[in-house]
Formats: sequence, C-alpha cells, structure tokens
Amino acid sequence: MPGRGRCPDCGSTELVEDSHYSQSQLVCSDCGCVVTEGVLTTTFSDEGNLREVTYSRSTGENEQVSRSQQQGLRRVRDLCRVLQLPPTFEDTAVAYYQQAYRHSGIRAARLQKKEVLVGCCVLITCRQHNWPLTMGAICTLLYADLDVFSSIYMQIVKLLGLDVPSLCLAELVKTYCSSFKLFQASPSVPAKYVEDKEKMLSRTLQLVELANETWLVTGRHPLPVITAATFLAWQSLQPADRLSCSLARFCKLANVDLPYPASSRLQELLAVLLRMAEQLAWLRVLRLDKRSVVKHIGDLLQHRHSLVRLAFRDGTAEVETRGQEPPAWGQGQREGEVGNNSLGLPQGKRPASPALLLPPCMLKPPKRICPAPPVSTVTGDENISDSEIEQYLRTPQEVRDFQRAQAARQAATSVPNPP
Amino acid sequence: MDQNNSLPPYAQGLASPQGAMTPGIPIFSPMMPYGTGLTPQPIQNTNSLSILEEQQRQQQQQQQQQQQQQQQQQQQQQQQQAVATAAVQQSTSQQTTQGTSGQAPQLFHSQTLTTAPLPGTTPLYPSPMTPMTPITPATPASESSGIVPQLQNIVSTVNLGCKLDLKTIALRARNAEYNPKRFAAVIMRIREPRTTALIFSSGKMVCTGAKSEEQSRLAARKYARVVQKLGFPAKFLDFKIQNMVGSCDVKFPIRLEGLVLTHQQFSSYEPELFPGLIYRMIKPRIVLLIFVSGKVVLTGAKVRAEIYEAFENIYPILKGFRKTT
Repeated sequence: MPGRGRCPDCGSTELVEDSHYSQSQLVCSDCGCVVTEGVLTTTFSDEGNLREVTYSRSTGENEQVSRSQQQGLRRVRDLCRVLQLPPTFEDTAVAYYQQAYRHSGIRAARLQKKEVLVGCCVLITCRQHNWPLTMGAICTLLYADLDVFSSIYMQIVKLLGLDVPSLCLAELVKTYCSSFKLFQASPSVPAKYVEDKEKMLSRTLQLVELANETWLVTGRHPLPVITAATFLAWQSLQPADRLSCSLARFCKLANVDLPYPASSRLQELLAVLLRMAEQLAWLRVLRLDKRSVVKHIGDLLQHRHSLVRLAFRDGTAEVETRGQEPPAWGQGQREGEVGNNSLGLPQGKRPASPALLLPPCMLKPPKRICPAPPVSTVTGDENISDSEIEQYLRTPQEVRDFQRAQAARQAATSVPNPP
Repeated sequence: MDQNNSLPPYAQGLASPQGAMTPGIPIFSPMMPYGTGLTPQPIQNTNSLSILEEQQRQQQQQQQQQQQQQQQQQQQQQQQQAVATAAVQQSTSQQTTQGTSGQAPQLFHSQTLTTAPLPGTTPLYPSPMTPMTPITPATPASESSGIVPQLQNIVSTVNLGCKLDLKTIALRARNAEYNPKRFAAVIMRIREPRTTALIFSSGKMVCTGAKSEEQSRLAARKYARVVQKLGFPAKFLDFKIQNMVGSCDVKFPIRLEGLVLTHQQFSSYEPELFPGLIYRMIKPRIVLLIFVSGKVVLTGAKVRAEIYEAFENIYPILKGFRKTT
C-alpha cells in the first residue's frame, strides 16, 4: 500500500496489513519482512489466560469473511442448535451457506433474502440426511413467508446444482405423531383418550401407506394426510369411547394445530376404507357408513393389500380397456366412463364392481368444459380496416368530457375539507 | 424450550426422529453392488433413467452425444457437492419401489449400447456406468402419442420505433389504462384477437394472450395501427415471439414421487410448495409442469416445434409410470 512507508529490508512500498491470528502486522509483500507488529489483542479471554485459541475463533478467519456472511454463518449454527440437530449437520449447512455466498447474486441480495437463505441451507442438510423437517417449521422459526422461502429455495437449489431428496414420509409420521400429547393422562386428556405410542404409530404408518397407495398423497402437502391418519388410528384403537370426538377436538386435546385440508383428507381416507370394506363379506352385510367403518379399521388394515387390489381397478389402464371392457361383471358395463365412481351401496350379495383407482382430482367432474379452440385461419398479414381501429379511439367530445371529469376530480381531492 | 406447543400446524415435527443419532445408512459408502471391477464412475445414483432420456436422444444425432458428455460433467459437479444424497436416494428409492419397479424390465433390451464411452474408461463391459444402466429402449420410431399440445398463450415483442407520450395515448384511446404510480406503461386491450399489450414510452411493446403466432402478429399490428392513428409515427420493427405456452392431457394419473426419483437431474417436486412436478428438459430447452392428473403444461418455447418435440420426449417417460398402482 503506498503512503505507508518503506520496507527496511528491500525498500519496496508494497506493504500489506495482515494478521497473524489476532496480532496485526504490517508485512512487506516483496520480501516478507515484518515491518511493524501490533499489540497482541486479548479479544478472547482464553488468550488472556494463555490458552490456545482455535483458528475459527481468532480474527484470522474473520478477515476474509464479510460481516454479513459471518452473521449468516452464526445464524446457521444457531438454527441447527435450536433444532437440536446432530453436529455433522451444522458443518454441512455452514458449507452450503459459504458455497452460496460465493455467488455474486447472493452476496448482493437483500438482508431478508440472506436470512431466508440460512433456513434453506439447514433444510437442504436435513433433507439429505432424511431428517423430517418441514418447510412450514423453518418458516415459522425464521418468521418468513412461505412464498419468499419457496422462491429462494428453488433459486439456491438450481444455483448450487444440488440433489435434494424428497421429504421422508415415514420419518415425518414418526416425529409428528410423537408430538401429539396423548400418551399420558393429564387434566385435559381423560384416561379413555390416552393411547399407547407404539400402537398408534404403527397404525398411523399403515394408514399413511394406504393413502399413498390410493393416490391421496401425491401432489398434496404431506402433513394434513398424516393428521387425518393419526386421528383415524387413534379412534380405531378404542372406537367405543372415541367415536364421539371430532377431529378439531382431537387436535385441541393433543395440543397440535389442525391444518385446514385435514378434514377433507379424512373424508377421502374414509371413502377408501369404505370401498375396501365392501369387499369383505362380513362387513358388507353391516352396511357400514363413515362412522361405523372406524370400528373395523384394524381388520381392513390387516388385509389392506389384497383389499385394495379387489376394491379398485387400475385407473391408468382405463383408457386402453375402455373399448374392450370384459363383461365379467354386469355392473362393469355401467362404469364405462372414466371417473364414474358412484358411491352407491352394493346390491345385496355381489361385491360392488371395482372403482377406479385415481387421484381425487381425476374423479371429480371437471369444473368447466373446455371447448376445443376453433381452428383459426389467421395469417397475421391481413388488412386491418380503419373502422376496426376507430372503435378503439375516443371522439374529440369524449376526450373533452374525460378531461373535464379528470380536472373536477383533481379539484375535489385537492380541497382539504370539502363542504 | 418447549417447541411444539406454540407452533402452527406445519411446524410440527421438531423433535428428533427416533434413532436419528446413528442414522444407520452408509452415507459415504460408494455403493457399487455389482462390482464390475472398474473404478467407481461419477454417476452412482439411481438416476439411470435420466441417462435413459439422454440415450434416447442419442439415437438421433451425434451432437447429442456431446451434450451427454456435458451432462456427465454437470453430474460430476453435482456429485461432488451432494455425494451423500446418492446413498440416501438409494435407500429411499427402495422404500418406494412402486414407481420404479415397473420401469426396470423395460430397460434391459438386447440392443447395442449407443453411448460414447466416457473419457478415461474402456468399455470392457456393456454397461460401464451404473449397474442399472439402461440400454436404449425399444421405442419404435413410428410410435407417437397421438396427443397434440394446444397453444394457450404467446408473448411477443415489437419495436414501434418512436418515442411515445403515454399520457396522450391514455387520454385519447378508449381501451387503455395508465397508472404511472403502479407501472410505467400503458395497458391496452383489443377484442379481436383477444390480447393485451404493454406499451412503453420508449416505443417498445409487449403483446400477450394470443393463441397462435399469426394471431400474435396480427394483434401487434393492430396495436401499432392504433398508436399510429393517435398521431405517432409508429413503425413495426423487430417483431419477435419471446415465449409460447402449451398444455395437454395424457389422461392417466402419474406417480410424481417416482418420476422425481428416476429423473432427479431434471425434476423438482416439492408438494409442500406446489402440487406439480417441474421438469426442466435440456433439449429442447422447455420447462414442463406435470400434475398428478396427467395434465402437462409446457412453456419456454420460442417456436411451436419445440413444444411438440418436448411433449414427444416426455410422453414415453410418463407412460413408463402408468402401470403402477
């Protein structure tokens, strides 16, 4: 640096301020001679007591890292500690943050974006280790909007070229179910509502697997499905006492917030269970409905694989076989159209013909018929008639009227206290 | 800190998963079950079907082989960054074999490998890469989907070649709105073809909403004519189509979780954020939104042929996920 003096050894003016751990030094960049040494700073009490200071805690590392990056790295570590993640996660998340910071677009981003980036790095680390952390959880901890989080998350995954596995459903079920406060009696939880954790977990897992198999999970947020499955599992373990409890009350008891879509997931899951129940002779005669089927969930889950195969036919093959529907069941002919899934009760002895196994969005009738667009013969170079253009222009009279109206409005708004 | 009490619904699950201290997954092991004796190749994940897609294109041109080598380099870079995910992916993919198990039998056809060997390897074995290396599947050249994507929106730009006074335009045109505090352009609409235009004071114009290229051009000319009649010396320079959006329906449900496992490099599926899978195709450079109902939205095309080509590329991949329940 010019103007700082000359090196006594070689006489060059290229003196650089460099730090050796926490001691500031002026060093000649040509010959390496140490021109001046600063006072040994006792920034850390450890050093004052003559104990070693690690490099990451000295100022040496901080010299190369900007303050906002330091702050971000500190936030990443704090977030990992708050979430009680294993120590290896912290290092990975920090590495991702540093990697992201090397890109100029991130360095120049707003502070809000950098704060959300902290959450993104932690989330990616958790996903790669199959730790079931939801985006909603991170957003709550960061006080961030899910939209903002989503845009930065997609950007950073693309920027760093990362492979982020999907959220592990089984792990999420275990963690989420364990958070329900139903495993011990308390003033708010009567004894008949208390349930054994292992039994509830295993039954919830089976219900979630069933939902996954019957297209209730694809494309939807995973958490409401798990809430509905937990509720059904809990009810079915002691139906006599628990059928009277509603989903909302259940979540309140368990001290868990009820996600809005959970009730519709519950209805869908019950519909699937009802269809499966139709295939069991001893349940068919009982004419089950959405409440009474809960008592038999245990049996249905035990035979779920074969029941699903019997109760549903492959919706994906429907398009091909529509014309060649085998006349095995007389009722089969009625369900020629894709999506015609009547919930009518079976007639007496025969099981209902299999319903289509399709996602609920394909089973509902389309909201509006999209007509095929008419074939247009526009070439793009046609003549444009004057009259057509005139219709878009104001007449002089209209212009005058409009200007007068605008002026009147200006006058009205400019008067502070209109009479 | 009692984490679980005061958090909203989607924030549950902060307690540590059971057995999480020792994951039990060999995160950093190289995972070469077949042990061909060659040095482990960079690609060691179950993205064999992503390589399948690359090889499909290799049937056509040589330049796509070069492209695949570029792809490998990209994958190598990704691999360095995310080596843990490879093993993790394999373990998670074993849990959801429904999507992928139906795919495997199609791959082992007795066709000669058409890939160019990676630099630095000798193709001693027919599959020098992952054990599940797909050999080019037997898709007959004549098989096509029979479904034609419909164009839904065309965005084009044109330069009117003169500076414009937006206040005058907004005053003297019936179909214009101008709110300088909100946006620095006049928003003009015409009825036939039903389109919207953004007209800027520099003379540049953006025309959106047309359903075909010709309609977009006609609409842009009509806007230019309106501006001309308002007294500006408007020309019609550099008309260019910037983006085309198409949509279609394959009419069968799609297992998005399976698709994201097999085509990881191209797909992004986050059900917590968006119900569809975002598939970024490399050739042609099109982004596809694939939904569970089988509806597909294609965007990012500059010409119509790119949309058709992209759909023809994706249709066999989607059909591969059809026979799963």
